[in-house]
Amino acid sequence: MRSTRFWVLIVAAVLAVSLLAAAVVRLASPGGSVAEITVDGQVVERIDLDRVTEGYTFTVEDEWGSNTIQVEPGRIRVLEADCPDQVCVRQGWISDEVTPIVCLPHRLVIQVSGGTDAGVDALS
Amino acid sequence: MRRVGCLLLALAAAAALLTGCAPEEHEEIIFAMDTVMQLQAWGDGAEDALTRAVQRINELDRTLSVVNENSDIWAINHGQGAVEVSPDTLHLVELALELWRDTGGALNIAMYPVVRAWGFTTGEYRVVPEPERAELLEYTDLGRLELDEAAGTVTLPEGMELDLGSLGKGYAGDQVMDILRGSGVTSAIVNLGGNVQALGSQSDGSPWRVGIQDPEDESAYLAVLEISDLAVVTSGGYQRYFEEDGQTYWHIMDPATGAPADSGLISATAVGASGALCDGLSTALFVMGADAAADFWRGREDFEFVLVDQAGTIWVSEGLEDSFSLAQGYEDRTVEVVRR
Repeated sequence: MRSTRFWVLIVAAVLAVSLLAAAVVRLASPGGSVAEITVDGQVVERIDLDRVTEGYTFTVEDEWGSNTIQVEPGRIRVLEADCPDQVCVRQGWISDEVTPIVCLPHRLVIQVSGGTDAGVDALS
Repeated sequence: MRRVGCLLLALAAAAALLTGCAPEEHEEIIFAMDTVMQLQAWGDGAEDALTRAVQRINELDRTLSVVNENSDIWAINHGQGAVEVSPDTLHLVELALELWRDTGGALNIAMYPVVRAWGFTTGEYRVVPEPERAELLEYTDLGRLELDEAAGTVTLPEGMELDLGSLGKGYAGDQVMDILRGSGVTSAIVNLGGNVQALGSQSDGSPWRVGIQDPEDESAYLAVLEISDLAVVTSGGYQRYFEEDGQTYWHIMDPATGAPADSGLISATAVGASGALCDGLSTALFVMGADAAADFWRGREDFEFVLVDQAGTIWVSEGLEDSFSLAQGYEDRTVEVVRR
């Protein structure tokens, strides 16, 4: 007959494993606000905006056109684009998930997730 | 006894570990129907269902596009006599005719030549003068459109051109919901260029929170609706417009004048079970204005609304009273609950 201690150990082991798993899941997902840039639905760049210490720019070129994107600590925008309507440029900086930047002619989307909770699941 | 208790505890801990993992989220972002669409669904089967939903949206885009030369709408607009169309197109033209009658003409799918004259299809904007507007409106009498349900054909009078842009996204949303529901998905939310449609609730059981965009500030929302299993569609003057001589001209035309709708509203949201209906009604309510929209709503049971007027007042139909709340920073707004 096994002792009570055996079962206590089993419980402790299961609890320890579950806590560890939860910690791993939590640590593996980035904590701050992350900007995800997609072209035609495919992710081309993922930037943890909270880990940006110095601003920089880069250009995303695809078959539809080119967008120059500027990144600063905690925020992101389209600096320049060769699209006809310039809607993406005019929108300016974003730092939360409320309104993603969309360059319709170039099929480019910049979405920020995490960080401060926008409080809504979708915008109409 | 103690052993059994310990065993139960161990099982409980194991169960907690397993249920700690939320259903997996699947997402698609696509460009179709001249807009960006985001589809999110949770749980088993969601990934395959989303793939099929995207195929269906692309199929509808090809069928309903006003610029694709292989579409039904192109065939109707450029054909002679009775033009045979797909069941989707036939259904939407029928719905459009019904809404045209019900709304007293506030929703009119034959406004395409007017919208084009104002430059909204090309980007070459201009203010269309009155005599030209009256001329263009002569071709917008949908009473002269012939629809043969048995033969599956649509016949337009000379000079008329259709654009199903005011219904297509909503209909696509309904089709997406059907596909997801049919695949056993119980939690999903899609945003088809501002047309939000939800299936069920969030995976944790709480309702979806849908923000209503502030028509005067693109980066903010002024109110939140907590909904499940509903479509939320907003028409706003801020979505597409141009400015000339200090005046703003938006893309939503009043079928009575051939000029941008000037009803006192700057945003109109329709909420209901059918995305296609809400899509068409949001446009119609925007054209009607607050008072006429409220009267129209009193005669129906199939939708609710949120309207924002030029003074900033928010009009909410009573069916949304419990699910509506002002967003942070908008607590001072006047909210008028409209009763039956």
